[in-house]
Amino acid sequence: MVKYILKRLGVSILILLGVSLILYTLLRCMPTDFVEQKILALTTGGAEVQKEMEEKLYAAYGLNGTILEGYWTWLTNIMRLEFGTSFINGREVLSELFSADRLGTSFIVAAIATVFEFLIAIPLGITAATHQYSLRDYLVTVLVLIGISLPSFFFGQILKNIFAIKLDWFPVSGLKDAGVTYATAGEAMLDYLHHMCLPVFTVVILSIGGRMRMTRTNMLEVLNSDYIRTARAKGLKEHKVIYKHAFRNTMIPLVTGLAGLIPSLFSGAMITESVFDLPGIGSYALKAMTQGDIPVIMTYNMFLATLSVLGVLMADLMYGIVDPRVKLS
Amino acid sequence: MAFNWFKKENEETAENNAAVKKHYLSGKEIREIAKANQKEMRRLEKEKNRKADPSEYTTEMKDDGNILEVDGLHSYFFTDQGVVKAVNGVTFNVPSRSTVGVVGESGCGKSVTSMSIMRLLQGPTGQIVDGSIRFRVSDYKLDEKGKHIPVYERDEDGNVIMETVLDKNGNPVLDKDGNEVQRGRQLVDEHGIGVFEQEEKVYDIAKMPIKEMYRLRGRQMAMVFQEPMTSLNPVFTIGNQLDEVSLLHIPGATKETAKNRSIEMLNLVGIAMPERVYASYPHELSGGMRQRVMIAMALAGEPRLIIADEPTTALDVTIQAQILDLFNDLKHKINSSILLITHDLGVIAEMADYVIVMYAGRIIEQGTASEIFHKPMHPYTQGLQKSKPTMKSSEAQLFNIPGNVPNPVNMPNHCYFKERCSQCIGKCSGEYPGMVQVSPTHYVACHLYQDSVKEEE
Repeated sequence: MVKYILKRLGVSILILLGVSLILYTLLRCMPTDFVEQKILALTTGGAEVQKEMEEKLYAAYGLNGTILEGYWTWLTNIMRLEFGTSFINGREVLSELFSADRLGTSFIVAAIATVFEFLIAIPLGITAATHQYSLRDYLVTVLVLIGISLPSFFFGQILKNIFAIKLDWFPVSGLKDAGVTYATAGEAMLDYLHHMCLPVFTVVILSIGGRMRMTRTNMLEVLNSDYIRTARAKGLKEHKVIYKHAFRNTMIPLVTGLAGLIPSLFSGAMITESVFDLPGIGSYALKAMTQGDIPVIMTYNMFLATLSVLGVLMADLMYGIVDPRVKLS
Repeated sequence: MAFNWFKKENEETAENNAAVKKHYLSGKEIREIAKANQKEMRRLEKEKNRKADPSEYTTEMKDDGNILEVDGLHSYFFTDQGVVKAVNGVTFNVPSRSTVGVVGESGCGKSVTSMSIMRLLQGPTGQIVDGSIRFRVSDYKLDEKGKHIPVYERDEDGNVIMETVLDKNGNPVLDKDGNEVQRGRQLVDEHGIGVFEQEEKVYDIAKMPIKEMYRLRGRQMAMVFQEPMTSLNPVFTIGNQLDEVSLLHIPGATKETAKNRSIEMLNLVGIAMPERVYASYPHELSGGMRQRVMIAMALAGEPRLIIADEPTTALDVTIQAQILDLFNDLKHKINSSILLITHDLGVIAEMADYVIVMYAGRIIEQGTASEIFHKPMHPYTQGLQKSKPTMKSSEAQLFNIPGNVPNPVNMPNHCYFKERCSQCIGKCSGEYPGMVQVSPTHYVACHLYQDSVKEEE
C-alpha cells in the first residue's frame, strides 16, 4: 500500500511538471500580457513610452526571453520555493493567495455548500429512483434540471434582487456590514454566516442537479441488478433492501467522487464570488487572469493541479476501502 | 430480465403477426396504450400495497397432497407496445416432496411463472392480473400482541418445566415481593435455537399484500437464480449475506447461531473450508462455488419449496453436473419440493418427477417425466425431443422447429403453435384447444387428441 502511494506520488510529480509547462506556455500565448496593458494604461494617460522603456519593463517582469527560458526561470524559482510577487501590487503571491480571508472565504462557502449538496441530493436521488416514473420522480427531476440550467450570474442576481433588495432579509454583498463593530465573537460569527447564506444557496442549487442525477442513475442501475432480486427473494423488507443492499453499492461512486471534490473546495466559485463581491480566491484569480498576472495565475493553477492529482489518488484509495473488489497494488 | 426479452421479441416478430398489419404504432395508439396501462398498473399496485386481513388470502388446498397449486395464473407486462401476456392461464400443482420441472424455450413464461410465485415481478410494469397461487405454509403462531408463542419443555406428566428468569449478569430477577420470577423453559432444537409454535396454513399468494410476502420469501419458499456471478451482493461477505436469512426468519436467532447455521449450510452444499468461504467476498469465489452459496442461502430458511430458475445455465458442463448431483442429493436430505425451471431437457430427465412443457405463456403438455420423454403427445414436445442431440445420431445438422414464437402482444385466438406445426388439421384454426387428459397424469392441449379421447369414451 505504502509502495503504491509512493509510486503514485512519483508519477504525480511528472504530471505536475507537464501541467506547469502547458500552463506557462498558454499564459505566455495570451493575446495580451501584463506589460502591454501597463503601457496601454500609460499611453492613454497621455504619457509617451519609449522602445527602451518597453524593453526594460519586459525584462523587469521576466517576460523578455522565449517561453522556454521563462519557464525555466519560473521552474528554478519554484524549486527554491520562491513563488514570486504579484505583478499588480508587488506583494508576495503566497501570502496574497492563501490568506485566511481569501482562501478561507472560498473554502467555507464551498465546504458548507458541498455538505448541503450531498445532504439534499442523495436522498432526492434515492426517492426519485425508488419511485421511478412516479409523480415524485418527475417533480424532483424537473426541479433539479431547472437548477442545473440556471447560470450562476443570473441566479445570483435574482436571489440578490429578491432576498437582499426587495425583502431585505440578507445583506447584498461582502463579508460583513460596513463600519460595524461586534461585541462578541459569536455575534461576528453570526453576521459572517448571514452574509454567507445567499452565495452558499446559489452554489447549492446549481450543484444539486448533477449529484442528484448521478445518485438516481446509480441507484436505478443497482436496483435492477440481480443481487437486489436475491435480497428480495431472501425475504428482506423493501426498506432494508434499499438502505442496506442497494445503498452500499450506490455509495461507491459517490464516496470516491467526494475525494475528487477536493480541488473544488479550494478553487473558489469564480462567478458567484464576483456576483456577491466576496473576497474569495476565485474572484481574485479571475482578476489576475484578466490582467495577465503570471505569478499569481501560475501559483493558483498549480495549487489546483496539485489538489486534483492528490484528489484522484485519494479517490483511488477510497475505492480500495469501499469496494472489496478493488485491490491496489 | 424477462421483460426486456419480450420487448425485443416484439419488434422482431411484429411482421409475422397477422393481427398487426403494420409494424409500427401511431402516436394516437401509443397514447391510448399508455393511458390504459397507467390505469391498470395503478389499480394493481394499489392492490399490492393494500392492508388486508389474513382471512382475505387464507384458503384451502384442492388436494392435500400438494404444497403448491397454481390455478389460472395470468401475469402480464404492461409495455409501451401493448400488454404482453407472459403467463396466460397456467395451472399446475407441485406435490409435496417432489420435483417438478418446467421446460420451454426462452420467453415462454417459465421465469415469469416462478417470479409470480415469489411475487418478485418488477412493478409497476409486471403484474399478476388474475388467478390464484395456493401455497401451504407452516407459519409461526402469534399471540394477541403479535409475538411468537414459545413451545415449552414438559415433564412426563405434561406440566411445563419452570425456570428462574435471570438478568444479564446471571442474577435472578425479583418481583415486587422479593420472590424470584419464574417462567416456562423454552424447548431448544439441536442448534440451540428456541422453538416456537407453528401452524399449517394455506395462503393465496396472488392475493397477498406484498408486505405479508416478506415472511414467506426465504422462509417458506426460496429461489436459486440462474446467474450466480451477479446474484450475490459484491460489497458484503458471503457470511453476512447468509446470516441475514437466519437472522430474518428464525425468531430469537443471534449472530452466533446464525453463523453456526450458515457454516452448517455451506457444509451441506459441499463447500470445503466453509469458514474461509464464510469470510470471503463473492468475487473471490468461482461460479460453481457461488451457485453453491446461493443454494446454501436458499436452504438456510428450511423452505418448503425451492424454486430453481435455470440453476445450471451459466455454469460449464462439469460444474453443471456437480450442481445437479447436489440437487439430487439434497432432495433426499431435505423435506422440500423443488420447482426446477430449465430449457435443458437433459437436466429435466435427470431430476424431475413431473414435467410441465410451456409454450408462449401457456402449458401445452404436462405429465410424469417418463410420459413426457417416452410418449410425447404435443407436436411441440415431439419437436423438442427431436431437436435434442443424442449419442446415436449421425446427422450433421440437428432438427429444428421452423418459425418463431408468435408476437406476445395480440396473441391469436387459435393454437399458438399452429404456424409452426407439422401436423396441423382443419380444427387448428378454431379456438385455443383445451387440456385433454390422455392418462391419469398426462394432459395435453392439442386438437389432435381431442377426438381420439372422445372416441375412446
